[in-house]
Amino acid sequence: MLLVIVCLGLGLILGVLIALAYLYGTRWSRPILAAYDRVFRGFPALVLLFLFYFGVGSFPGVHLSPFIAVLLALGLRSAAYQSQIYRGSLLAVEKGQVDAARSLGLTKRQTIWSIVIPQAAYFSLPGLSNEYSVLLKDTALAFAVGVIELLTVGKFIALRTQAILPIYLTVGAIYILLTYSGLLVFWLMERSIRIPGLSGHSRGRME
Amino acid sequence: MNLIIEFYPHLLAGLAVTLELIACAAPLGLLIGIVVALSRAYGGPLLSPLAYIYQIIFRGTPLLLQLFIIYYGLPRLGIVFSPLTAAIIGFGSCSGAYHSEYLRGALLSIPLGQVEAARALGMGKLQTIRSIVLPQMIRRAIPGCSNEITYLIKYSSLAYLVTVIDLTGQGRLIAYATFRFFDVFLIVGLIYLGLVTIANHLLQLLEQKVRIPG
Repeated sequence: MLLVIVCLGLGLILGVLIALAYLYGTRWSRPILAAYDRVFRGFPALVLLFLFYFGVGSFPGVHLSPFIAVLLALGLRSAAYQSQIYRGSLLAVEKGQVDAARSLGLTKRQTIWSIVIPQAAYFSLPGLSNEYSVLLKDTALAFAVGVIELLTVGKFIALRTQAILPIYLTVGAIYILLTYSGLLVFWLMERSIRIPGLSGHSRGRME
Repeated sequence: MNLIIEFYPHLLAGLAVTLELIACAAPLGLLIGIVVALSRAYGGPLLSPLAYIYQIIFRGTPLLLQLFIIYYGLPRLGIVFSPLTAAIIGFGSCSGAYHSEYLRGALLSIPLGQVEAARALGMGKLQTIRSIVLPQMIRRAIPGCSNEITYLIKYSSLAYLVTVIDLTGQGRLIAYATFRFFDVFLIVGLIYLGLVTIANHLLQLLEQKVRIPG
């Protein structure tokens, strides 16, 4: 669970930065970020994990503990996925609002911080909650490089007790519980920061 | 580069296994997806909750755990699969759960009036589903389902963890033989990237091809 939160946090910070750099950055920031996006979204998570743990970890002078390797691989991967979410939500903020803010004398940075980001943050919550449930399940891959997480513990107990099926079913139940309780938290968050008149529901009603 | 030349038969063998996995699991997943989506929508009080529970279980747990249950757990009940079969069943049923949500979304977007019209024209319930709902549902779900197939290609690498020697498995063997871990996994990753790109293009072509004019 620590792994999920740290990866999600790393992905959040990097993802927002990537999305902002992609949309508002200089000319050469785009191709670089597009390549990053290609690699981290196109490679399977397991291959990324091996690339970091066995590959980067074998460079001279670099030592990666399994935990750090998983954190980097899944965190950077999540950043690539999350940057897409934020890019979408940044673009969902109406262009007219940016023009209006600029014409009211706000600087470019001020416009991004106080007009675009608060609204985009709200738009991105559904995507983020999706990413949470994906990431939670992907942390099970940490098993492959020997990080002690839920599935590893399950496998250990299963081998010790020889009660393979009941243990795995219990592990499954825990994952389901974690997934749905996490989604509930996101749903509550979404409801509490809903901007009146902006949410999808009221827009639907008006039409 | 000479790494590829030296080990390309191994990589090709791994790629063949990966492609076999995908080619079997993708249609299985779609089929399961269609059945689950239709059951949820038209299944009545018995089938509909069952389909819902299926979705919760397969979308709420890691794919790796499902593979472990199928490959290591089920033999305890006397059900034994070969690694490849276990992987295909695991991928198919997990992918099916995700497909079913895309398909259900597509199904719900079909105006109810069309179903009523078909029924009013004297079509049976099954006939309505088969010739009115299903063709539109599948077409509308193509973007979502393509996404899911892309995921399937990437997650097929998990088969290695239930001892299938697929592309990832071969990569790992080569890496251990040469100790060039970074290069090998980079090449393997690029092959997956290539597969995903090709699949995306093909699915986009399919989407354009089967579009209903107007």
